[in-house]
Amino acid sequence: MITINNRDQLEWTPGMTVRDLLTAMNFTYVLIMITVNGELVDDDDYDTFKILDNASVRAIHIHHGG
Amino acid sequence: MAKIDIFVNDQPVSVKEGTLLLKVLEAQKISVPTLCHHKDLKPEGSCRLCSVEVEVDEQREMVTSCNYPVREPIRVWTETETVIKHRRMLAEMLLGRWPNVPAIKKIARQCGVTESRFTSDLTDPNPKACILCTHCVRACAEFAQEHIIDFAGRGIKRHVAMPFEKVDPHCIGCTSCAYVCPTGALRIVDDLNNPVNPTLIRNHGMKVNAEMATLDAHQCRMREVGTANIVSVMNAYDLLPVMNYRFGTHEEVYKIDGGILKEKYFTQNMPDGCWKGCSMACAKTIDNFELRTGPYKGQLVTVDGPEYETAGGGSNMGLFDMDAIAEFNFYCDTYGIDTISGATCIAFVMEAYEAGIIDKTVTGGLDLHFGQSGSVLELLHQMSRGEGFGVDVGHGIRWLKKHWGETLNLTDEQKAFLQDIGMEVKGLEVSEYMCKESLAQQLGYGMAVKGPQHDEAWLIFMDMVNNEIPTYEDKAQALYYFPLWRTWFGLYGLCKLCWNDVTPADNKMTAEPQKVPDHVNNYFKFVEGMTGRKLNEEIMLNESARVHNLQRLMCLMLGKGRRNEDYMPYRGIGPVTKVEYESRQERYDKQLKEVLGIDPAGKTTEQKMALIREYREEQYDKTLDVVYKRRGWDPNGVPTVERLKELGIDMPELVAIVEEYKRSL
Repeated sequence: MITINNRDQLEWTPGMTVRDLLTAMNFTYVLIMITVNGELVDDDDYDTFKILDNASVRAIHIHHGG
Repeated sequence: MAKIDIFVNDQPVSVKEGTLLLKVLEAQKISVPTLCHHKDLKPEGSCRLCSVEVEVDEQREMVTSCNYPVREPIRVWTETETVIKHRRMLAEMLLGRWPNVPAIKKIARQCGVTESRFTSDLTDPNPKACILCTHCVRACAEFAQEHIIDFAGRGIKRHVAMPFEKVDPHCIGCTSCAYVCPTGALRIVDDLNNPVNPTLIRNHGMKVNAEMATLDAHQCRMREVGTANIVSVMNAYDLLPVMNYRFGTHEEVYKIDGGILKEKYFTQNMPDGCWKGCSMACAKTIDNFELRTGPYKGQLVTVDGPEYETAGGGSNMGLFDMDAIAEFNFYCDTYGIDTISGATCIAFVMEAYEAGIIDKTVTGGLDLHFGQSGSVLELLHQMSRGEGFGVDVGHGIRWLKKHWGETLNLTDEQKAFLQDIGMEVKGLEVSEYMCKESLAQQLGYGMAVKGPQHDEAWLIFMDMVNNEIPTYEDKAQALYYFPLWRTWFGLYGLCKLCWNDVTPADNKMTAEPQKVPDHVNNYFKFVEGMTGRKLNEEIMLNESARVHNLQRLMCLMLGKGRRNEDYMPYRGIGPVTKVEYESRQERYDKQLKEVLGIDPAGKTTEQKMALIREYREEQYDKTLDVVYKRRGWDPNGVPTVERLKELGIDMPELVAIVEEYKRSL
């Protein structure tokens, strides 16, 4: 199980990438920053960065608009 | 993005697919001469100095590295005999024509050239001569999107010019051309308003220009569709106000989002900034729009918009019809009606109509079900003409709640319902964000001095989605910093959009990315450049807090500005109706179970709604207490004398207002 933003839970699947997580959470926001267990993931690595089970993910939407 | 293994000068290097070769070489600390390349401009490959040899499928060729994306395993050589000979020839020709220009001399040295064989009548001894590098022409096109300057003449007569060799009045004076000029051929000869340090202002302004040119297309697309880019974002995150804020999403949103506007409506695909020189240029228009109603029926007009709030107002009225929203936009502008207040007020009227609180005897025969665009537009025309039901609606939600309570034979329950669903605070209609799942946003709306305008605090994502401010204290700090920062823009008359509607590529690496620190600094440098006064966060916050507290005292003078004025209608806090609860049952049941420790099983929707309401209203109250304390206000939301002293605004007449309030308690 993965914890997102210290609150939401997502079932982990083997080989899960950051992109898979964004899709599963419907995080379509453009200005988003992802850390996995405290490590900042480069935008270019979303397709390849593997998330391990029990990871703590921060998905920070940098607010714009408003 | 996939990695590709390549060889550079026989050394293995792993690069991300699509990376431009020059960037790869720079990262490898390999010196490559460039002239037309500029870090803030799109690569062009016209000077050909950056050429290298590349081998693909055993075929070698010369390529310009600045605009060569790596898409397959290649071998690269940067210092072959062919490459060196090619660069030397180019450097010698450049040096022959412009022997005294420092930028050219530097390139020549880099290529091992000190003398040129190509001295001729074309040789220009001016050390600040134009070297036809293309920077200025591209900056005009990419930074300001103006295309005011370009090349004229051919061959040896090629030169940079404005149309017909005259000063073009359309030049916006942004100075981008001078900023990127490597020789000084373009100079800035006038600094409007006599700033103390115009260079400081330009350098920071150009950073934003460059970000707009290189990042906007991948970020907020402000140039492309303006603020309407967030219609689909709000919908995806359940935050778009739908049918008087009952819901946050709708399946027909594609009919009113930025995509449809770009595809079928926006016509002026050109810069349309609010002010001369703005490179964000987010204002959009629809040309030749044929009106279907009203005094200009049948005429072709230009619609200034719509922006996000107007499209969001459309969904709030159940209008998933861009023609109707565009016409609503046009007539609101024509009549001097705020599209937000107009839409929110009509959405309230529509819900009251659908709930049976008012009927056609009240509306003058208008069918005001959600989505009735003809009735919406007729209401606008009535407001303008001062006729019929439009007169009542024109008074706004607060007035309507009172008026209907006094003139219609309503039950107490119906009166309470109107209070719950009438989305106004301090008499101003709420702007177009569905905030019931974000406590911080609710407080941002409720506590805003001028009423529930989102420009004082917009914390939905930080709170609801990111869970970045989970405690009361976290929320209070956010509701201290952001309203003061956003108020500060107003104090200086500066646009907020250049703060966070484009963000630096490295913003994620900063300690507080939500604040966009580099852009906050841009504003501070702008003030310093204009006035000579240096700012920092503390000075900025205190400047803003003085005005914020003064406004609060002015409200107090007028008999307002107290705690009872800072509450959101319950529609902004939680589900008022069964249909709302049931549309988000999973969320609310989870809150009951996990936060309140109450098993929702076996309880009716009404029972669960009552429990959720009690909890959420209590949370609102508790947060209000903590925010007041953080702001230096008493539990009634009134600035303390101590706070006025801290801010240096403890003038006798202001202290007297607080003292009089204390005596009245």
